[in-house]
Amino acid sequence: MSRVAAAFWNPIVAKEYRSRMRTWRSPLAMMVYVVLIAGLGYAMFSSMARSNSGFAGSVPNYGLTLFKYLVVFQMVLITLVTPALTAGAISSERERQTIDLLFVTRIPPFSIIWGKLLASMSFVVLLLLLSVPIFSLVFLFGGIELDQVLYSFLVTIVAALALGLIGIAFSTWLRRTLAATVASYMAAFLLVFGTVAFGMIFPTKIDPKSTSAPAPPAVTYLSPIVPLVAIADNGQPLVPYLIRYDYPNGIVAIQTGGSVCKPLGNGAVACASSSGSVYSAVAATGTAIPSGPFAKWQYWQATVFLQLAIGLFALLVSAFLLPPVRRWPRWRQRPAAMTP
Amino acid sequence: MITAENLTKVYGQRTALDKVSFEVPEGEIFGFVGPNGAGKTTTLRILAALLEPTAGRASIDGADVTKQPLQVHSRIGYMPDFFGVYDQLTVAEYLDFYAACYRLPKQRRVKIAHDLLDLVGLSERRDQQVDTLSRGLKQRLCLARALVHDPVVLLLDEPASGLDPRARVEMREILRELRRMGKTIVISSHILPELTELCTMIGIIDHGRMRATGPVHEVIRQLSADRRVRITIVGDQGRAVAILEPLAAVRRVETADGAIEATYEGDDSTAAEILHALTAEGIRVSAFSQVDGGLEEAFMRATSEEVG
Repeated sequence: MSRVAAAFWNPIVAKEYRSRMRTWRSPLAMMVYVVLIAGLGYAMFSSMARSNSGFAGSVPNYGLTLFKYLVVFQMVLITLVTPALTAGAISSERERQTIDLLFVTRIPPFSIIWGKLLASMSFVVLLLLLSVPIFSLVFLFGGIELDQVLYSFLVTIVAALALGLIGIAFSTWLRRTLAATVASYMAAFLLVFGTVAFGMIFPTKIDPKSTSAPAPPAVTYLSPIVPLVAIADNGQPLVPYLIRYDYPNGIVAIQTGGSVCKPLGNGAVACASSSGSVYSAVAATGTAIPSGPFAKWQYWQATVFLQLAIGLFALLVSAFLLPPVRRWPRWRQRPAAMTP
Repeated sequence: MITAENLTKVYGQRTALDKVSFEVPEGEIFGFVGPNGAGKTTTLRILAALLEPTAGRASIDGADVTKQPLQVHSRIGYMPDFFGVYDQLTVAEYLDFYAACYRLPKQRRVKIAHDLLDLVGLSERRDQQVDTLSRGLKQRLCLARALVHDPVVLLLDEPASGLDPRARVEMREILRELRRMGKTIVISSHILPELTELCTMIGIIDHGRMRATGPVHEVIRQLSADRRVRITIVGDQGRAVAILEPLAAVRRVETADGAIEATYEGDDSTAAEILHALTAEGIRVSAFSQVDGGLEEAFMRATSEEVG
């Protein structure tokens, strides 16, 4: 086996596959996952088919709407699954008193982390693959570009990777599986939902004097939900939620029809419809983030970048905490091939 | 082969090991004896490069345990006192997994697993799930696991704990076989009899300090300055006691079970003088024998001392 292959494929991966797939839990988890995704897809479809005036009635593109809800729901499910897969990775070895037996082999501690990560990520990828047939039914409606599909899955996988690494870091640090699981779920919920909730509570205020279109608060890019919605909405994400206009006292609104409009600094006008949605006259063009620290980036690029940074940090924490005899950086010593 | 110099391990306020030094030459079986909590496991974990000593140095076959942990790992087979097994794996898969962790090629792994299961007598159970094995069988499997990479040194922490007498004997046979194969073995125990027959060297540890170390008989002699003889006589014991008590070498005389036990200071010729003193006074001695306190007594003596 070449050095690269040996780095990717270590015995821990094979062992994890074996033990994982020999329990009834894995097929059950896969079944529940497919049933939930398919169930949501079917519920969405039937509600759209029945009503022409409901939430889907105004949407011209059934396929894209269905796709949006499915990728977001899939991300929610992955957020629920991934911490459970990795939070026990190291701590359960400690609790079962098998970790020392691994440490005394020629497997460097870093490879233990890597093996555990690869094994759990493979299961996540398996789940994503299982959902492909359901997504392909959605494609029958049309209106979805291939790059939208690829970017959505990329965001989902990278987010799963970051969640997995966070789980392993907690598993290495906290030593008890229960504590690690609780901490991993809290971190995962904070990352995926907490950041979006934060963005909703403290949205970007539309500045009438601004010459650039407003972007959601940068912290919300941490959540994979934002780029997933942005991809499906062609880059105009969550406008009434993450970008809002505060009506200051003393400014008289210009009434035009049902909308409330405000003059903007550059002569443009920001308008709010009677239903409450606000749009800026300096509207974002294209799918890129219009302003802020990630200006000109695609939403998915910002999220992938941030998730990879978080994942890398979690990986370094694990790699630092795991070795029993800390001779940093110990995992770099690759042992020579064993000679008989 | 194994050297430990002034190994010290401090956990917060507690000193688990206090300047422990010893040396084990190649091919010896070193018995590491001490009561529970004396520091045996701590020492073995340091030797296995699983724990960093607070101070001191140790090396296995020239590889320093803190500086070259991976080299140490390839030289040692380690069997902890408590260990778990993975569920959902068979005995053969279990060994194959660890052999793969030692980066052995696939073809050799199959042969090694076969040979080792033969050695520890688990050949017929190769397809049984590891978590369904009895404790004794798990211990044997763990020993086989420690041998997959053919290490030169074996560090065995209480390999016989929790085993029934039969499994104990079988474990001892396996260890004898390993000694014949030329392995250097360090074996810890809080039970002495299981070490006396097996070990060539011994180290007695208590409260984190090495009380005595060296070849078995030397340690016993070192620790048992006082010796005892058991004397059975025909006739009046009182007279014999009266003769024994004034002797300069004799420390204490007790009568028990119709025999007299005299504790004395000295060597074999002192014992001969005691016997002569009795017979010269006309005492009819029917039996006169050294009471061999052995390791057990040496151990009790060494570990009963207060820590200064």
